[in-house]
Amino acid sequence: MKLNLDSLDRRRFLRGAGVALALPVFGSTSNWTAIASAGASAGVPETSGQSGANGDSPRDVKRLACFYFPDGVPMPLAEDPAYQDWSWFPHGNGTDFTFTKCMEVFQPLRNQITVLSGFSHPDVRQVHGHSNADQFLTAAATGSDGPYKNSISLDQVYANHIGDQTRFSSLVLSTDGGTGTPRGTHTMSFSRTGRAIPAEHRPKRVFDMLFVKRDADAARRLALSKSALDDLLADAKSLRRDLSGDDRERLDEYLDSVRQAEQRVEKAKRWINTPLPNVETGDLDLDVSPEDPQRYVQTMFELIYLAFRTDSTRVATYQIGRENAFGISDRLARAVGFNLAHALSHETKQPGGWERFSTYCGFLNREFYRFASRLQETPEPAGEGTMLDNTLLLLGSASSAFHLSQNYPVVLAGGKAMGFKHGQFLNYAGSDAVGGLFDGVPEPWMKEPAKDDQPLTKVFVTMLQQLGLETESFAGRTGGLSELV
Amino acid sequence: MRLPCRPPRFPLVCWMFVFVAVWPLSVIALEGGLEVVFAADLKTAGLDATAIEAADSEREANADRAAELTLATLPSLNELKVLGAKKSSYLKPSRAAVSQHSQRDASVFDQTIKPILNEACVDCHGPYGAEASFDITAIDPDMIDGGDAEWWQEVLAALSKGEMPPPDEMEMEDEDRATVVEWLSDEIHFASIARRARDSHSSFRRLTKYEYNYALQDLLGEPWDFAKDLPPESVSEDGFQNSSDSLHLSVSQFETYRQLARRALDRVTVRGPRPDIVRWRHSMSDAAAIEQRMYQAKVKRLEKRFEDDAEKREKQIETATRLYRNPGTGPYYLNVATGEKARAKWEYNGAVYAIEPVDTANASQDEQEASASSVAPVVEAATHVAVLPTGKRSYLTIELGNQIPDEGLMRVRVRASRGHDQMRIPSMQLVFGWRATNEGRADVRVSKRDTPVTATAGAAETYEWLIPLGEIDPRNAERKTSTMGRFPSPSEYIRVVNSSVSKDSDQPADIVIESVEVDAPIYAEWPPQSHQLIFADREPNEELSREEEVDYARSILTRFMPRAWRSSVDPAAVENKVALFQAMREGSEDFQDAMLEVLATVLTSPKFLYFAPRAFTSTEVSVPPDTQVSSRQQNSADVKPHDRQLSAEDLATRLSLFLWCSVPDERLLELAASGTLHQPKVLLAEVDRMLADPRHERFVRHFVGQWLDLRALSYLAVDKSFSQFDPSLKEAMQQEPRAFFAELLRTDASVLDIVHADYAMVNERLAVHYGITGVEGNEFRCVSLDDDAARGGILTQAGLLAMNSDGEHSHPLKRGVWILKCLLNDPPPPPPAAVPEIDLADPEIMKLTLKQRIEDHRNQPACMSCHQKIDPWGIAFENYDAIGQWRDEIKGTPIDASSALYNEQVLDGVEGLKRYLLNSRQDQIVHAMVEKLAVFALGRLLAFSDSAAVDEVTRAVRQDGDGLKTLVQRLVTSDLFLSP
Repeated sequence: MKLNLDSLDRRRFLRGAGVALALPVFGSTSNWTAIASAGASAGVPETSGQSGANGDSPRDVKRLACFYFPDGVPMPLAEDPAYQDWSWFPHGNGTDFTFTKCMEVFQPLRNQITVLSGFSHPDVRQVHGHSNADQFLTAAATGSDGPYKNSISLDQVYANHIGDQTRFSSLVLSTDGGTGTPRGTHTMSFSRTGRAIPAEHRPKRVFDMLFVKRDADAARRLALSKSALDDLLADAKSLRRDLSGDDRERLDEYLDSVRQAEQRVEKAKRWINTPLPNVETGDLDLDVSPEDPQRYVQTMFELIYLAFRTDSTRVATYQIGRENAFGISDRLARAVGFNLAHALSHETKQPGGWERFSTYCGFLNREFYRFASRLQETPEPAGEGTMLDNTLLLLGSASSAFHLSQNYPVVLAGGKAMGFKHGQFLNYAGSDAVGGLFDGVPEPWMKEPAKDDQPLTKVFVTMLQQLGLETESFAGRTGGLSELV
Repeated sequence: MRLPCRPPRFPLVCWMFVFVAVWPLSVIALEGGLEVVFAADLKTAGLDATAIEAADSEREANADRAAELTLATLPSLNELKVLGAKKSSYLKPSRAAVSQHSQRDASVFDQTIKPILNEACVDCHGPYGAEASFDITAIDPDMIDGGDAEWWQEVLAALSKGEMPPPDEMEMEDEDRATVVEWLSDEIHFASIARRARDSHSSFRRLTKYEYNYALQDLLGEPWDFAKDLPPESVSEDGFQNSSDSLHLSVSQFETYRQLARRALDRVTVRGPRPDIVRWRHSMSDAAAIEQRMYQAKVKRLEKRFEDDAEKREKQIETATRLYRNPGTGPYYLNVATGEKARAKWEYNGAVYAIEPVDTANASQDEQEASASSVAPVVEAATHVAVLPTGKRSYLTIELGNQIPDEGLMRVRVRASRGHDQMRIPSMQLVFGWRATNEGRADVRVSKRDTPVTATAGAAETYEWLIPLGEIDPRNAERKTSTMGRFPSPSEYIRVVNSSVSKDSDQPADIVIESVEVDAPIYAEWPPQSHQLIFADREPNEELSREEEVDYARSILTRFMPRAWRSSVDPAAVENKVALFQAMREGSEDFQDAMLEVLATVLTSPKFLYFAPRAFTSTEVSVPPDTQVSSRQQNSADVKPHDRQLSAEDLATRLSLFLWCSVPDERLLELAASGTLHQPKVLLAEVDRMLADPRHERFVRHFVGQWLDLRALSYLAVDKSFSQFDPSLKEAMQQEPRAFFAELLRTDASVLDIVHADYAMVNERLAVHYGITGVEGNEFRCVSLDDDAARGGILTQAGLLAMNSDGEHSHPLKRGVWILKCLLNDPPPPPPAAVPEIDLADPEIMKLTLKQRIEDHRNQPACMSCHQKIDPWGIAFENYDAIGQWRDEIKGTPIDASSALYNEQVLDGVEGLKRYLLNSRQDQIVHAMVEKLAVFALGRLLAFSDSAAVDEVTRAVRQDGDGLKTLVQRLVTSDLFLSP
């Protein structure tokens, strides 16, 4: 039998790792599918065109999770004594490369990981890196001042494609919560209209949303929702008549929201009869805050793991920190004994500065690694291989050295079942990447780039293609990156 | 006469006053430190030729005064306030409000202004070298239609401050400068008026999270937090959360609104009969008995464990007894008769400290209600009391088990007094908490204000709190799943905390507790008032026919909708909701369920969630559709005479959003409906009434928080070396600016008191921090300051100094930026990308003081232009460390807190900075305050077209004594506020 998993072992494993999934002892394959996939099958009417969400055949599940960290990475110059150990980027090229101390934690998963250098989004290469977290997943020309317009993010492109197969189309998290401001985003995810999707920062809310039933009579409420939404739409239209141009645009956010809510009602109707996955909190501390930085970050990663594990969603983003040191996420540096994260990127000139900055980045790498190996150690529920094989992970930042918005540090992991070839360092920046200590005016970000980066959209296009979308372009840029597959 | 653009550098001659006529805008000032002060810093558009002339004549008067005062003492800061006020350019009558701009002579620019600018500016800011990306030949001198008016405002500011042309590179003749400044001021003024009449400056916006919350509180009649689940609000460029530009909406937020509205309505309404009250009676004799039982059990365990080892047994028991009998500095139970002490301990394991509620099964409903309203608790002759000295763990834990209800009020009564012969009045707090596991725990302070325990020893009094149980968050989630005594513990507790400031003084501040009573849930009436507010005139669960239901629904909606939507609601809109009710009734549990669902829709409607200020419309002037000339004309601002006036109902809403951060009450809506609210007399009376209402505290809280950007203070964490920093200090730091602002508002004190005041608002904790003696208790109060207090005003408040530090060291840059941004409303440009940081690996640099390092950094050409404008403002505060304490030296090196601004003005320490501001920047400070309050009041950023109106308010305030309340009144009655 294909799914000859020892359920007792699996339960023990889950408990040991901090969470107890209340798994029944499975009698048959189909049973397992019905329960573990949490509603992707039983009781849910199939919509036409969907496949693989039901039945006895292994499900073809593809997941995407994206992570962002602010303020760039340490890039001491080759002649700097700190270069060998404390650079973020590995040394070498292709399959012949070595991780530095900053990244050595990845070594056990070397064959599941690709590190990229020399990629960035072309429209904002000369905009200060601190303004660019907004466009990391969107590649929009978000600019440095004036009117602001963003566009749909990578995760939401995929969520729009796959989102109706799970209870939640995507999970949007950040340490700082909410939307933040234009060019100071607190979320990686942007909707079809380029609107920021507020990120959740409270583990408890995430958990409750995913696993705790909210209303006993939700079904009945859904039926009522339709008439309420129609009524609100009418109110909005009547108000709209009294408004002038710009105001109408603002109210259109409301109208859009009501319409999207109606769509959600339609979708939710399909899930309403499907029981929520039975997940116990176990040792998970859902009230943990960033004041306890390491546990907080781990908890956020763990929630994404659980959401994936129960097939509650297949798309997740987590912005680990916002740019430019405003907010609670700047204090995550306390996880490794420092005070403020952003300051570390500025203090590289001080004795031991590179090491401190690198140690902090190493902490982020370690938590990312922990998450990836958790997926690697978990067999794909009702599928083949491990969860990591079916989950594509992206970790990166929109600036490299001193907030220069070029040569983004990017790690791609997992997704082997989607055809990704790993174990390589795609070093497009070469040995002369801009790095080192800042030595004066004009600032690097203002200068004409000496060398053009590859558009990061190439990576995005290939990611989307391997995730199953038929697309040749992202954000208006055509072409993928063949080396990845 | 051709003179250099700025005065020659003067030798640093301390305490000498030199009068120099340098250029027409310079005015002599009476400063410590350096000598020359410019009144030239008139960022405001109010500067004009007459101002320059006035400055000229005043300069001579000042010269005389200077001569007189040279030998006398320096004027005090308070005297400077008066002296500085006389220089105001707002003291002259206002410009004509009516613009004849079309008749203004466009040739003046070409013939007079352009040649001057060509000569002075084009070398650097021309087509061949647009420094700072600015080409002065490329901007359109038509201020109304040219689209570059904001650039011209910058030009005016740079010219009038003397920043440009760069004094050491280019000269500009005084006359030329005056000509350009005068022309620009006039053009900007008139263009602003013209554009105001033409442009729409909409402040259509969503209510903020906090406004939404207060609106629900006021509509539903319970002061609960209904909005917790909304995402945090973004903050606009200038720090405000209520700016129309930054208030967006997403679908998940929209859905949250729907859920919140329904949840709020569910919480304020009830079903079924009144719930029974659970009662706990806990005398300290009982408490001491529990403690004794614990001790005896422990002894028994030890006896058993060390049965065979007498020596060890003795030793262990001795230790246990010593711990039991010797509470150290912690809380203890005192045997009143014997004077014997037993420490008051608590641990959560096994819920062994939990007390049982008294049996009330037989009490009738009448008795329940009677005791619910009774005041005096049962008093027994106490054999024991609990004593809480001051200190970190100074609390008494009363564990109540898992029977505390979810909703309703919990009444806690504590009989307490001061200790024997104790002069100090201790402060008391109430905490609600639980501990389910080692990690899973919470302690939530549920008392809003600290209670001073005034009762003297032997004459204990009863202190009471009424705590809304539904507001306590988080509750112990295990209370309904686990069982008492098991792990995780489902039990919950309250803690009576001695929150008095711990001082080293020998003055104790003990709280002596005789007994504690807890009753819950308490309802003053059943159904509660909030329920009756919605479901008026009928008993809960009354059987109604379907027709009666519809009529009742209509009457509920007719009452509810106008208040929620802040306007008269036409019957058709009510009928829509009645139809919705009928559609929903079928799928709903009962009438109440359907009704609440419809009301939730009313509270999720854009008519509740958004504020859409509309122009005044009257049936007399409305044009029948068939006579419309064109639809464009119908919408155009020029057609209807009343279009420039805000409708009365929207005026009521704007006013209440401003001063209460909430929807208008019935009185405001009535005044609006009667058409009298626009009358200045009525409006001002309403401002008075609203500021006298406790709801105005919301305005104080949110305005001050946003204006001063106090967010950074809320996550302030300081270095461990500041051992005196504790949560109560942080709390006091957060409260101080608000208490100060509230005091200014209450007494209509001068806005300039922000810069300096000879009083401060402090509580005991803050007074200790400041070294002010004679303040006892945790309530804020006004105290007068000595001349050498180093405090007074906003600038030197510890919280603001700490917030603008990095937790370990002072941070002059942050402090400088903050002053420019918040106080002077002259924010510096955002910092460049990669700031070249100070090379601390360089041993030479390591030797420098912080100020020297900053100066070294500033000398790099990339940094100089900005830092010269920022750093001196921050360096002046170097005498204050990272938690805002005064210091004279750092590691043995005396503080040097003086530094020169770009215009050679030296700011010598905080005293010098205050002197400079009071002497030369009063107009800017008042103007900035007007702008900040206007942005908050209007809920939008100010535009170029607002500048003349802002000037008018500033002028009125300056001419009327600068009072803060005056400012609010002038603003509310201004064209700015009364336009849509």
